[in-house]
Amino acid sequence: MEYISEASYEYIMKKYRTSPDARFVRNDALFSEDSGHSAEEIMALIRRQDAELSDLPHPVRKAKAFACVLDNTRICCDPRDPFPAIHMIDRPLNATLISAWNHEIFSKVIPEVNPVREQLERNAAATMWSDYDHSVPYWDRILSLGFPGLLWESEQARAAQQEVTPEMTAFYDGIRITYEAVLRFLRRLEAQAVRQGAGRMAAALRNLQTDAPSGFYEALLTDYLYFMLSEHIEGLQARSLANFDRTFYPFYQSDLASGVTEEEIRSDLAHFFLQFTAIGNYWGQPVYLGGCTENEGTVINRLSYLFLDVYDRMGIYNPKVQIKIAGSTPKPFVRKALDMIRRGNNSIVFVSDATIRKSLMNSGASAEEARMCDISGCYEYCIRGGIAIGMQYMNLLKPLEFALHGGCDGISGEPVGEPCPAAEEYEDFGSFFAEYKRQLAALIGKVVRTVNTFENYLHQVNPQSLLSAGYPECIRRGRDALGGGAADSISTIQFGFMANAADSLANIKKYVFDKKMLTLAELRDILDADYAGNERLRRIFLADPDKYGNNKDLSDRIAAEIADFVSGLLCGQPNAPVRGGHWTCGFHVARMSYNWAGSTASSADGRRRGEELSKNLSASMGMNREGATAAILSVTKIDASGFGSDACLDLGLLPSAVQGEDGLTAMQGLLDTFVRRGGHAMHINVFNADTLRKAQQEPEKYKDLQIRVCGWNVLFNNINREEQDGFIRQAESLV
Amino acid sequence: MDRKARISDIKRFAVHDGDGIRTTVFFKGCSLKCVWCHNPEGIGFRPQIAYYENKCIDCGECTQFCSRGSHRLTGAGHFYDRTSCVQCGECAAHCLGSALIYYGREITVEELLPLLLEDRDFYETSGGGVTLSGGECLMQADFCAKLLRRLKENGIHTAVDTCGFVPRESFNKVLPWTDVFLYDLKAWDEEAHIRCTGHSNRRILENLRYLDAKGASLELRIPYVPEYNDDQMEKIAEFARTLNNVRKVKILPYHRYAGSKYDALGMENTLPETLPEDAAVEKIKQLFDI
Repeated sequence: MEYISEASYEYIMKKYRTSPDARFVRNDALFSEDSGHSAEEIMALIRRQDAELSDLPHPVRKAKAFACVLDNTRICCDPRDPFPAIHMIDRPLNATLISAWNHEIFSKVIPEVNPVREQLERNAAATMWSDYDHSVPYWDRILSLGFPGLLWESEQARAAQQEVTPEMTAFYDGIRITYEAVLRFLRRLEAQAVRQGAGRMAAALRNLQTDAPSGFYEALLTDYLYFMLSEHIEGLQARSLANFDRTFYPFYQSDLASGVTEEEIRSDLAHFFLQFTAIGNYWGQPVYLGGCTENEGTVINRLSYLFLDVYDRMGIYNPKVQIKIAGSTPKPFVRKALDMIRRGNNSIVFVSDATIRKSLMNSGASAEEARMCDISGCYEYCIRGGIAIGMQYMNLLKPLEFALHGGCDGISGEPVGEPCPAAEEYEDFGSFFAEYKRQLAALIGKVVRTVNTFENYLHQVNPQSLLSAGYPECIRRGRDALGGGAADSISTIQFGFMANAADSLANIKKYVFDKKMLTLAELRDILDADYAGNERLRRIFLADPDKYGNNKDLSDRIAAEIADFVSGLLCGQPNAPVRGGHWTCGFHVARMSYNWAGSTASSADGRRRGEELSKNLSASMGMNREGATAAILSVTKIDASGFGSDACLDLGLLPSAVQGEDGLTAMQGLLDTFVRRGGHAMHINVFNADTLRKAQQEPEKYKDLQIRVCGWNVLFNNINREEQDGFIRQAESLV
Repeated sequence: MDRKARISDIKRFAVHDGDGIRTTVFFKGCSLKCVWCHNPEGIGFRPQIAYYENKCIDCGECTQFCSRGSHRLTGAGHFYDRTSCVQCGECAAHCLGSALIYYGREITVEELLPLLLEDRDFYETSGGGVTLSGGECLMQADFCAKLLRRLKENGIHTAVDTCGFVPRESFNKVLPWTDVFLYDLKAWDEEAHIRCTGHSNRRILENLRYLDAKGASLELRIPYVPEYNDDQMEKIAEFARTLNNVRKVKILPYHRYAGSKYDALGMENTLPETLPEDAAVEKIKQLFDI
């Protein structure tokens, strides 16, 4: 691999597990026994220590357990790798303290929550979980203050408090214990680096004990260490490695000024990237580029290009990269990213700077907060120092099941929805659609009430000393980031399967109420029977031209109405009183398209139970018949600036459509139009040979794959095997 | 009543039919019959039904709407009798498996225009527009002229993709409303041209010179088909150098991807066997300084 020697590559790829496929199987052989205790010994140590601390508040107990891990875990500082290895990376505090505290709160303090949660999850209506996966560290402060600076600032803030409550004392104590442990850990790592002959790493670790990072490598090391400590020990995902080009640019410049070569910087960056490739979390580790400067110029700089170039040459896909794109973002930079995408790098996502700023300001952020907001997770966003956790998923098809079944689930028959008239009772589409919305509102209400109950206790279950020390509002208020300390505290419902819901409602309007081809009660019975004996009707539903995602009025209008309805209902509602923030909504579904497919009844769009549900705000599988432009026109009819969270379009393109300069211009045209029309996030997939092979094997699922070369305009399904093989070979040649 | 055009298809996000993102209208009927034609549904002017047997789900829906009994469900599955079919298109309109496609829709300018304007935002951001293609769109030149004029009135960039084998008057009709002509050149020698397309190229070359003299913007499109026109490339390149308004030349290497279309349309497949080699394509590009 470019920039990385074979020996280093071999070492790093086995640093976190025995092989890339061996998930959660640590490579024990890497760590010498004299560098610390075994995992089992540490778990026992934590339990023993905590048994004697039961009178202390949770932040202190957790911080002491954190310290116990750092003081005792085995470590390795191999000269082949500029970043140290930590043995205890499987969230030891989760298995000891956090799970126990979680159980205690849910079973004793709020026992009413779990039955609701279990019912909604059992019926695939909504998930509700304590989300510790979507926060972004305050990288500017972390890199400008360093670990000792963060501790010092916290102590200063504590001293400035006029009145210190016991909760505040616990909060500041937690930070002190945590950061003192980090500084001791740096000392231990330094000694280990000296022992193993990793002189450069040792020098950097020595500096980080007393100062902020002083160069590009030390900044990377700080970022890496913070990530490891948060994600793998503290138990809170760090869902961005920073607005990289903006945050790291000063370090890059000072290095160049002091004689460090660009090649050395590239090498360090490559080794940094490879850590996340080797960790290999399936969700991909986000890091983002771009955005706007104070005077609306671009953040994109020489480091942005270097970043993409190194990433490109390495041919990796984890970390994954988001690009905040604005009018000032240089076209050559966008074209470089688009070129990478068309060569098969699907890990790059574009998010519109204008749309997220408008959205944040709609929900009360200042213009400056909106400009500086972080991209967190896949496509979500939040103001810097705010915390956007509380990611819940909701199934937009379930309220339809409830409305058709008198308030009961279409599969289990459980009364999950609100009691309502039988299907026989609706006289027109308007009254049925109104009932759908009533069921949807009730489901949202149930989720909001339930989540608001348990999110009052997040900071007790999993207090966040490491993160909170970085958030200026937390240390000023003396409150945990999860307990109302953050500058903004967001909870989100992600609504799934918009295309299925809109297409189903459109078909109900058209075939039941307008054409009167069948009654609503007959439709209900047909869906209950999974279309058995009614394949003709299913085919009519599937063949209907008015599918969402094709710039067709009926289904697009229904989708926009649903989106407006849920955002109007949810956005701005207060979340848990302790958090003191608000709700937002989004439309991405991660893996729920598959996870919930079997628990979601057959739908009136022609989808049978068990078949894949639609993704994000894209058309249903195989239903984007009018291509990329129509998909963009449909999705941008939905006002994404009203959500507060994400609205992603996944766009599939064939390599043949994006070849040459013309192809790049076409891709850019799609992206620019999407942004201009107020879209939020766009993910372009240029179909590779593997996808085409799947399309060959399962043509039903890839009905919309179009082949366009010069004047040829054919669907992939419409060409014969030999011709398909030709296109597969063409796709292969692009890689 | 508005005059109607007969078209075979409208394709959005067309990225190889001129600059930027375009919508291409494929007109039905062509004045040539190239052996390598990749849009066989565009050759004849009469409507046609394509039947993709592999997509048929044997639902029998077409049998209920066919007034001529051309579609039958037998024990062996769906049978389509082309000889009795009058190409009314009812079967395709009701096909539930997308196995039947009707080529030959008739449409007015006022019906077509809003469809073509749907993607205007994309035209603006990418420098694209609308392309009229085919078949040979200029066989319906009056309609094209009216449509192009309406497009220009709406500020849309227009391209006409033509084989050039139409009367001079057809070009005169569209010339004021056309931003660029995508002009096919298949052979220089008349004999070779006849072998490839069934017709002489005299009128084609004259029309091209005429357009050039008129100052029309030209993009030359040269299909490269081994064993048919590979010996013509140098001569075409030499001729191209005598023209003043060629802004781009594109070599279109021959592919066989259209084979299944011939089968679906029940047409004799005339596609040549030999495919071009990459090295040869590169060499030809050099001839044209691409």
